[in-house]
Amino acid sequence: MAGIKIKYTKTERARQKKVLKVSERMLPLFEAMEKSLMATVNTISERIEKIREQIERNRKIATPWVAVMSDSWVDMNEFISVNEIITRPVDVAGVRVKQFESVDFKLIPIRDDAPLWLDDAISLMQEQLQLLAEIECLKEQIYLLEEELLDVRARIKLFENRLIPNAKIAIRKIGQKLQDDERLTIATAKVVKTSKLQEVSV
Amino acid sequence: MSNLVYLMSSLPSLTFGEVPPISILEFNQDAKNQLSTSQFNNLELIDIQGVSGETSKVGVKSIVAMLKGVQDDICEIRKARTQDRMPKLERLSAKEIQGTPLERERKIMQYQWEELESIEVGKTFTLIEVMVYKLKLQILSRLYSFNTEKGAQVLASVVNPSKKEED
Repeated sequence: MAGIKIKYTKTERARQKKVLKVSERMLPLFEAMEKSLMATVNTISERIEKIREQIERNRKIATPWVAVMSDSWVDMNEFISVNEIITRPVDVAGVRVKQFESVDFKLIPIRDDAPLWLDDAISLMQEQLQLLAEIECLKEQIYLLEEELLDVRARIKLFENRLIPNAKIAIRKIGQKLQDDERLTIATAKVVKTSKLQEVSV
Repeated sequence: MSNLVYLMSSLPSLTFGEVPPISILEFNQDAKNQLSTSQFNNLELIDIQGVSGETSKVGVKSIVAMLKGVQDDICEIRKARTQDRMPKLERLSAKEIQGTPLERERKIMQYQWEELESIEVGKTFTLIEVMVYKLKLQILSRLYSFNTEKGAQVLASVVNPSKKEED
């Protein structure tokens, strides 16, 4: 507030009252938005954790037979790769983010007489790649939501620490000044009236 | 004949599940040195990975039938999976296609090994014995290539290629 020049007028007081009213109405909205964003970020983080656990479970299930993937007959890298991660835009807590839909794989057809384990390995790899792609999408969502959260927090601070206190101080000061001016006017009028009465009586 | 005797006598014996005592490359070199060109050419056509049109011309019917039979059974298992039905197998038994993918591969290889052993009975110092030796050596080499650490690396390189690049 220090350093801000206040216009001590009724119009300015009315303006400041309007600022205060709007700020006090907006603050709870932003606070609710902050809570909603935080809850959403937490939910997404929990989902990421669950997907990571699933990836680990799949890895452990495959551990007893993973040795077969080093088969000298087969080069696994040739058979599967990710073409594209398919997403769709959705609004999460008021923020537009990409939601994971599926993964488009580039799969090289397996020869009918190729080793049987190839089918199991490709199926495992597809699942792991899908889960990892979902994690990437969720991480991106968290990034965007945290950006929005920072913005909302800055707004809350602006309302709490500047707009609302400043408007309150301005309204109080303008009120005091206008009261003082009114008292001064009345006192001056009284003095003028008394001196006029004295002149008449003399 | 004497060349076959010399070749077979100089090769180390093979046992299923053990580390291959010689490499395929060394075996091929020895065979090339000892066999006639036509014998070596016929030997080169035989491969455990499958039967091609050329292989069947070599004329070792029992070996070709075994390799072809296993190949056909693998095709049938794959077809049955997609059609969600029980496979109708000719050579492999239900026991051989059960278990984890690793156990399955081992059992199929063990079946091939046993079949090869029965094929070579009474064929001492013949080209068939050399062919069987080559196929058994290929089985051992493949079996030896199964390694948990390397397999995990292969899985990681496909599932998380960025990590592999960082390493």
